[in-house]
Amino acid sequence: MSMKNAAYKKFKDISREEHISPGTALCTGCGGLLALRLAYKVLGENVVIVNAAGCFTLLSVYPYSPFSSSWMYTAMACAPAGAQGIRDALDILIKKGKLKSEENLKVVVLTGDGAANDIGLQSTSAAIYRGLDFYYFCYDNEAYSNTGFQMSSATPYGSRTATSLPGEINPQGTVQRKKDLFEIWRAHKPPYLATVSPSHPVDLSNKFEKASKFEGPKLFIALSPCPPGWSFDASNSVNIARLAVQTGIWPLKEAVYGEVKHTVIPKFKPVEEYLRTQNRYDHLFNPVKQVDVIDNIKKDVEQYWERYLDS
Amino acid sequence: MKNSTNEMIKRVRFHGRGGQGMKTASRIVGTASFLEGFFVQDCPLYGAERRGAPMVAFTRLSKEPILERGLIVSPDINIIADETLLGDKNANVFQGIWEGTVTIVNTHYPASHVRNVHGIVGEIVTLDVTEIALNVIGESVLSSTAAAVVCKLTGVISESSLEKAVTRELSSINLKKETIQKNVQAALICFDRIPEAHPHYFEPIKEDKKDEIVKLEYADACLGSPSVYAKGSTKLKKTGNWRLFRPVIDHEKCSRCYTCFVYCPHSCISIDGDGYPQIDYDNCKGCLTCFYECPKKVISKDREVKAW
Repeated sequence: MSMKNAAYKKFKDISREEHISPGTALCTGCGGLLALRLAYKVLGENVVIVNAAGCFTLLSVYPYSPFSSSWMYTAMACAPAGAQGIRDALDILIKKGKLKSEENLKVVVLTGDGAANDIGLQSTSAAIYRGLDFYYFCYDNEAYSNTGFQMSSATPYGSRTATSLPGEINPQGTVQRKKDLFEIWRAHKPPYLATVSPSHPVDLSNKFEKASKFEGPKLFIALSPCPPGWSFDASNSVNIARLAVQTGIWPLKEAVYGEVKHTVIPKFKPVEEYLRTQNRYDHLFNPVKQVDVIDNIKKDVEQYWERYLDS
Repeated sequence: MKNSTNEMIKRVRFHGRGGQGMKTASRIVGTASFLEGFFVQDCPLYGAERRGAPMVAFTRLSKEPILERGLIVSPDINIIADETLLGDKNANVFQGIWEGTVTIVNTHYPASHVRNVHGIVGEIVTLDVTEIALNVIGESVLSSTAAAVVCKLTGVISESSLEKAVTRELSSINLKKETIQKNVQAALICFDRIPEAHPHYFEPIKEDKKDEIVKLEYADACLGSPSVYAKGSTKLKKTGNWRLFRPVIDHEKCSRCYTCFVYCPHSCISIDGDGYPQIDYDNCKGCLTCFYECPKKVISKDREVKAW
């Protein structure tokens, strides 16, 4: 995205209005909450959140709510279906003249990576297929963090979760590669699709601004460093998210009707710098360094970027 | 329920915040008691909340098989690992304490101060466990130190069982050897710092003597419902007492770059009329993202010791 035409150029362009109040039950230093807070500043107040079960359902624990807008809680599998119902109801109210079109709401699905990659993948696919006019915000903390950090299909290769502990047979921890949700969604050719990171607030804001120009599915995957799950100090979420971008592990990109463009080309710091910040990768360095596993992670990153930087 | 009047049974209740290590502390005490030859039971209790939110854990130890189950309403030893919980009505840390309860509070205040402020019955012991943990382990995780305090107060657990239990429990959660060693060291310091407990609180009580039904006070519906419908009502929860360190902005040196405001995950930093960032201390959880991200390094962190 060229900076010249961008709506956001610096931190001072970011809205001072808050749409998520302090005082939530979320973990201290939650990276996903920061990403959502920044996104909300662009989305504004006229929003209805459809929240699939996960960490973020604890944002709103009766009788408290941090939102300046509406919120609905659904099961893990069906947030996009819930969004369809709300969208239809709003459209009918507007058509009947019972709701002014300026009071229209943006319907935003909010799910974790577990709902997005595993349990709710089908209903998301169906909603994109139907061309539902909605936003999808996936906070990707790379596991089922809400229930004690069990592996999801977004868990990266070589990391430790409660259900993929490094052991004699699998010293690398997680054996599987992270599912490429971006590519799965992109295959549907939605109007707008992007990855974002809380470490890059200007990039994030511009993507939400750009998405607002499209009608139909607008999907986002937000890197969400998780202090208890990834096992690092609560002050470090932004730094770790930044390292994920700088090492090339978390590409910042967008796809308009399926056409991919990278919005940040990193300088490629060594991946080890990222891995060493989190105890979920500690077994790759202690008691003996698992050079082959680290090399595989490096290779994956290199192969990914070769594909894009050559073309 | 078996009447346990004649055998020694001890009931320990741990109050802390998610992430402080009280669940592990209850396990360490359980394991240490087991190594001493006792029958043991331990379990944590969480709400739907997480790191930083109040939680409770329980350990029972006895010479006979333990047939009691569930929450410990009247503890013999009641440890409050986070002093900010003392004033928290929801955490209810003094529930069911009686003349025989030994309450240990992790604070730098003397025991007399705690008694005067809260007017609680039973024995009170205070120790700044966090300080010991910060000095020896380097972080404010209180699992081994809190467990050591409890082990000492039971009067029936030896130093060597404590040491073995700390090592065993912390190894099972994959901590590094050096971290475990530091934890053992900190635990032994705490163990030595607690005076030998008085024998009279060993006296067990029959739990059925007390009315254990928790009576909720009447509250008018109007009091609660406006909060439910208000926008952004979570700020009434005041999560500021989750904080261990307080970020302080030096406004003299601040260049008004907005970095701390932009990166605060919890919406606790706002920009005032003059363009300076202001921290909402009622709700700041003390993640210290601002402290680390400030490009001019004009934010300092102060240990929060007078939270109540």
